[in-house]
Amino acid sequence: MATAIAMGGGGALELHELEKRFADVTAVDSISLDVAAGEFFSLLGPSGCGKTTTLRMVAGFERPTKGEIMLDGTSLATVPPDRRNVNTVFQSYALFPHLNVLDNVAFGMRYQKVPRKERERRAEDALEMVELGALAKRRPHQLSGGQQQRVALARALVLRPALLLLDEPLGALDAKIRRQLRLELKSLQEEVGTTFVFVTHDQEEALSMSDRIAVMNGGRVDQVGTPLEVYESPATLFVADFLGVANVMRAEALGRNGSGCMVRVGEFELRAGCGELGCRGAASVVIRPERLEVVPLAERPGENCLPGMVDRTVFVGSNLQVMVRLVTGEVVQASIPNHGEGLEFHEHGKPVMVHAPAEALRVLAGDGVGGAAGS
Amino acid sequence: MSATATEPGSATVARPPAVRPSRWPAWLTNPWGRPRFLALTTWVYIAWALLPVLAAILFSFNDGRSRSVWQGFSTRWWWGDPDLSVFHNPTYTDALTHSLELAALAMLIATPLGFLLAIGLSRWRGRGSGSANFLMLVPLTTPELAMAVSLLLVFTQLSVLPFTAIHLGTTAQVIGQVTFSISYVVVIVRSRLAQIGPEYEEAARDLGASTRQSLQHVLLPMLLPAVLASALIVFALSIDDFVVTQYMSSSGETTTVPMLLYANARGGATTPALNAVATIMVVVTLIGVGGAYLVLRWFGRHSGEQQKQSGAMADLTGIE
Repeated sequence: MATAIAMGGGGALELHELEKRFADVTAVDSISLDVAAGEFFSLLGPSGCGKTTTLRMVAGFERPTKGEIMLDGTSLATVPPDRRNVNTVFQSYALFPHLNVLDNVAFGMRYQKVPRKERERRAEDALEMVELGALAKRRPHQLSGGQQQRVALARALVLRPALLLLDEPLGALDAKIRRQLRLELKSLQEEVGTTFVFVTHDQEEALSMSDRIAVMNGGRVDQVGTPLEVYESPATLFVADFLGVANVMRAEALGRNGSGCMVRVGEFELRAGCGELGCRGAASVVIRPERLEVVPLAERPGENCLPGMVDRTVFVGSNLQVMVRLVTGEVVQASIPNHGEGLEFHEHGKPVMVHAPAEALRVLAGDGVGGAAGS
Repeated sequence: MSATATEPGSATVARPPAVRPSRWPAWLTNPWGRPRFLALTTWVYIAWALLPVLAAILFSFNDGRSRSVWQGFSTRWWWGDPDLSVFHNPTYTDALTHSLELAALAMLIATPLGFLLAIGLSRWRGRGSGSANFLMLVPLTTPELAMAVSLLLVFTQLSVLPFTAIHLGTTAQVIGQVTFSISYVVVIVRSRLAQIGPEYEEAARDLGASTRQSLQHVLLPMLLPAVLASALIVFALSIDDFVVTQYMSSSGETTTVPMLLYANARGGATTPALNAVATIMVVVTLIGVGGAYLVLRWFGRHSGEQQKQSGAMADLTGIE
């Protein structure tokens, strides 16, 4: 079935110093990206960071103020959207209400001068591929959200584009369907081999599906990397905060010390094992909740141990979140996995120590936001 | 209901009662009670508006010559009387055919023009789009008499081509009616276009359709209910139009039914045949508007957009 759709090679996207300025707002501020052919690439960021504008420029609905868009070496600057070998799956699917599902999927092939019989055959194959073969004669409004999304996908993929753009396609679906579709989308992309550029604000989505992620903030790209890189080694505070939960503490960096960087938090000295180890002066230290350990108060604390009091504990099923108010004033969040037994529900006010292992403690230059960040 | 509450460690706090008293009796304030005032006002309004019309229709079936004194039931004014009944009187039948002719012409010309104007205005981004939008609304807001008089002056006094080529008569009447009808079409189509949003056109272009193709294969089918509704509105407006049609007419041949009614309504020499003509007008307009409603319902059911269908209906009735 996938041979109806699969492409051989092609689909490398290059954005070079792309900029989009509206009257007084710079939505996209000189971004440069390289997406390899066949890659599942995500643009991740909060609302208003410019990711949708970037996508629309690649699709052809917005004209860049400056910069270049190259697809397989060809510039797309003056090419109208109907002539680009790029297709989009919209957030609201935009299925044509006056056509049934099969006609919707077959719509684009008419402009590629595909004869009628072949159009129908390919449309049916595409519907089979997204497992909606039985619904060919239905109207879009008779389908559920997840089914509509699959029709939109089939409609775009049947045209064998070099590049498929997806604008928050899972946004309008409920959590369970979303999780299911994530896996389906990923395996579909692997089967078909088309380059996918996926825009989302949901970091879990981006982490679970992408080969690489570009984290965007305020029209700029903060970091590009694999999900592991972006999560474990965030380059900026924004990236650390946006992906998962991050405990951020303001600190003063005291310079390199052997394999780490000494920082002062309050009146305690900690050793940070990763990040910008050579920095000095105002800085922030970041550690993930799952790396923090909550240990009983001890007389002689080990390295990187901070005393504090338990603020509250929150049980979320798979783990236990413990908020600890440190003596330095900040509140950090530790995440303890639920192994069934031995889960200690610390009561409010209990004095404990929080251990931040040096190899998990990351130092980043610059002044950050104090305290444990929400997700 | 408690008037006070005591919390540990605080002074007593007066809390408002659970149900705030009202000076109206319960049966009146009950939100699920029968809507008595609403029903009353609605019936009064319907009676006030419709009774005169029903009376006029009734008297078209009068047996005598009077239009105010009932003398028995008869169809003589419709087709019975060989000289004076509606279908035998050339003055009346000519007026009827001319009215229908004008309405059909206005509908066929104003609807496509208005549709294209609506599409064009919605895409125009540059300089001049603001004034174009404003100008499009001017015919809607200008008093009809002012428009009729200015058209009259333009066609009779202005010695500039092409105006000198147009004389008063059917052509002038059609031009006058189309001028103000276009605005109605534009308003209806644009509001529907705004409801649809730019996404479907973008999706069509993304899939390979050029601007013209996306207009023809996607936008037009989706806008069809609005286009048909506005065509029927133009028809209804044209049939009922008096001021512009009157000023643009030239001779007896260009008389329409509203003009006929105006000329004869207070005279003493007219018969209930006039009422019959008026009844025909009412029926034709009802068919037009009723047809618009049915068309919209059929389209709504067909594509299942319940809320969008009622939106188009709201455009229809909102304009009227």
